[in-house]
Amino acid sequence: MTNTNSQNISKIKISQFIRPVISTLIILYLFYRIYTVVFIESSFTPDIWVRFAISGLIIGGMYALIAIGYTLVYGIMFMINFAHGEVMMLGAFGGFFIFELFKGIPTPTAADPNLTLNNSHPYLTIILAFAMGILVSGLAGYFLEKIAYRPLRKAPRLILLITAIGASIFLQNLAMLMFGPQRKNVVNPEILNRSNGWEFLVSGKSVFLTYTGVFSLILSAVLMILLYLLVQHTKLGRSMRAVAQDQNTAALMGVDVDDVISKTFVISGILAGAAGVMWDIHMGLVNHYTGFLPGIKAFTAAVMGGIGNIPGAMFGGIFLGLIESLGPASLGIDFQLKDVIAFSILVLVLIIRPSGIFGEKLSEEKL
Amino acid sequence: MKNPTLKNGLTAGVIFGILTTVMFLIGFNEVAAKLISKVFSDQNFTKFPQYYYFGIFMVLLGIWNGNIAAKAEFKRKNDLLSSLIASIIGGLIAGLFGLILSLIFGSLVEQQIDVRKYLVSVSPESIKLFLFEKSALTGGLIELGLSIISALAGGLLFYLFNAVNGVNKAKQSLFKNYQSLISSPKTKELLSDPIFKIAMYLLIAVALIVIPRNWGSYWNYVFGTVGIYVLLGIGLNMITGWAGQLVIGYSFFFAIGAYTFAIFTSPEPHNLMWNFWIALGLGVLAAGLSGLLLGLPILNLRGDYLAIVTLGLGEIIRILLKSDLLTDFTGGPRGLQKIAGPTLFGKPFNSDVDFMYLIIVAVLVVSFLAHRLQNSRTGKAWYAINLDETVAKATGVNSFWSKLLALTLSAAIAGLAGAIFASRNQYTGPDDHTLMVSINVICLIIVGGIGNIPGIFLGAFVLKGVPEILREIDNYRMLVFGVLLIVMMRIRPEGFLPLQRPKLEKFVKPVNPEGGAQ
Repeated sequence: MTNTNSQNISKIKISQFIRPVISTLIILYLFYRIYTVVFIESSFTPDIWVRFAISGLIIGGMYALIAIGYTLVYGIMFMINFAHGEVMMLGAFGGFFIFELFKGIPTPTAADPNLTLNNSHPYLTIILAFAMGILVSGLAGYFLEKIAYRPLRKAPRLILLITAIGASIFLQNLAMLMFGPQRKNVVNPEILNRSNGWEFLVSGKSVFLTYTGVFSLILSAVLMILLYLLVQHTKLGRSMRAVAQDQNTAALMGVDVDDVISKTFVISGILAGAAGVMWDIHMGLVNHYTGFLPGIKAFTAAVMGGIGNIPGAMFGGIFLGLIESLGPASLGIDFQLKDVIAFSILVLVLIIRPSGIFGEKLSEEKL
Repeated sequence: MKNPTLKNGLTAGVIFGILTTVMFLIGFNEVAAKLISKVFSDQNFTKFPQYYYFGIFMVLLGIWNGNIAAKAEFKRKNDLLSSLIASIIGGLIAGLFGLILSLIFGSLVEQQIDVRKYLVSVSPESIKLFLFEKSALTGGLIELGLSIISALAGGLLFYLFNAVNGVNKAKQSLFKNYQSLISSPKTKELLSDPIFKIAMYLLIAVALIVIPRNWGSYWNYVFGTVGIYVLLGIGLNMITGWAGQLVIGYSFFFAIGAYTFAIFTSPEPHNLMWNFWIALGLGVLAAGLSGLLLGLPILNLRGDYLAIVTLGLGEIIRILLKSDLLTDFTGGPRGLQKIAGPTLFGKPFNSDVDFMYLIIVAVLVVSFLAHRLQNSRTGKAWYAINLDETVAKATGVNSFWSKLLALTLSAAIAGLAGAIFASRNQYTGPDDHTLMVSINVICLIIVGGIGNIPGIFLGAFVLKGVPEILREIDNYRMLVFGVLLIVMMRIRPEGFLPLQRPKLEKFVKPVNPEGGAQ
């Protein structure tokens, strides 16, 4: 009797120790590697590090916006909305078509006969592009939920995940068949020219800060603050939090659960659409594949911050953007491997701490 | 929206209108016309012009539209007239979508504006086909008229098949006859008769030997691919179908198998040129080992977290294969070339027939082993984990090691498939191991019937064989996959050939603690 008991205990101990030991070893090695590359070899000067950090912050803002969409939906339905990246891609296309349309309308003046509407009314163009992107993505989120997910409200979560994968494949290929597989250049209005910006000095060398980058960063910060206010201080936000805590009880308290879920999808679509138009403005290239990688990375960010946790998703997005741009340099590896770093972090975070950096200990049902 | 008849018609009409619009925007109307002309064996449009076949397609769509509208209305109110009104409204709305499309794109064509810069699939020919080679207004009105008439026909057909008593009874009795034929004791007796079984096996064996010799290299290629996907399906089915752990990055193991095999047989990076069978074994071993090592940290995760971790691993290996970091082993984006083919007793396999035999043997062996496993103690442990992991643990199943075994075995099978795939193509590169491979395999086991080996054969044939046969729809394959996944999850999540599990032999009535029966 005692023999079997002790055997059981030793078995449990082995399987419990595998993960912490391996993960500690990996983390120690990473720190050692970063230390040698950054401080001993010191292959980059400070201005280059600042440059990496800036580009990481900008892209991180976009990741954060998309990550919030994942987190909102996961918090409420416990499903990974795999098609969320595609929602962002549709928003990017919406913005792209507004830019193209306005570029094509001539508004000649005496001073400049070649002037087009996007340069004569740049603010209108940008606002309309965002409005269009947000509209397209919001509608996409709404219909995605209504058509694909709502009939499966009571289904097991794997079925929902597979449905979401199906929706992702469908939207991606629909965009490819409709708009063609080649990448399309987005032409910004002149005030947001991608090669204009401020220059400043870091330890004697100039660092370039583009207007588009600052614009994206400010806009994503504003949107995040708005979302935080919405969730914390409005009736809709309160019902969203209630549904996230317990659907049945929320329904008993008079919250229309279906309506709240539907609105959550619209809100996450709106944020993704804004991120998509930012992507247009800052990156300048859009095709059907635009949403896939940012989508997966934003999911990584959401997991990193603790999925279901909105400030966590914001932090995770920016943190992931920084890691992605600083990581290859500080690990001393090739820059084409930056996606590997993002995915490795996803894997490591899920293995070591599935509840995320800020996530509270979730019950087994949620995990 | 107060009027339910109007609402039913409107819903069907809007759905089909959007369907028409999307099909037009992705250029499906030309493909549909071609497919229908194939049915009438008139592929060069000699008997009738192309728009004739497009018209047939639109009529079929309209009939479906009217049918759906009438069905929704008929459920509410058992009445011919209101059903027909609903289907006419459906046809009208869908037709209006067609009319608007015709007017917009017809006027664009008449002004010689090419929209292909933004909408690549909308060529002028496609627009002309949509307008039945007429002017914008006439073509649009034809669309509208066709839609209304065919929807009306659809409504009438629905009524005929469902409401008229005689037809309905005939339909039901046909179904009953089929059911009784399937479940009659004589059929069962025949199926379990050993002589019949042996005869069937012999027939299949002869077919498998004779057919690859005679149907040419193209069909061998197509069915070789199907066979490799059957292998992948059986492998993934072990961990996903039986043990219930969704693994998305299955191409990881496929790539490990293919690349290990390729390194040992290709002259390119190291000039090892080992024997085929040793390299095959090494490929299987390496893939299995990678499954074992990966499973150790990740198999404690549940459900969608495991899915996402494996997705990440699949993407990592794809990028690593493409990168310059491992060029010495993987050849970078170029991949590994000139991979050797197998030899048996000194005779090299150089024809497609030999390879087909190799694939057939591999599929037979693996499916036999999988079948034995399914009903073994291990298979039952997997099934218990799939149903409820906590209960399985409580009844003494070591869930972690069982899952690890499942992952190792499925990785090894993927390694086998990868090695055979690389050897047949004499090439393996990063583009052979994308996420789409994994998604194809998941689709395959879900569509065929998750957990069921015959279902995997069906799924592999439907997803890999049919698109090869219908080359026209090749561009639309992934789109159809996406729709198929959504629709299957909604209407038939267990697949076309669902797994039949033995039921409890004796149903025990649950008794509540107070003593009274529930």
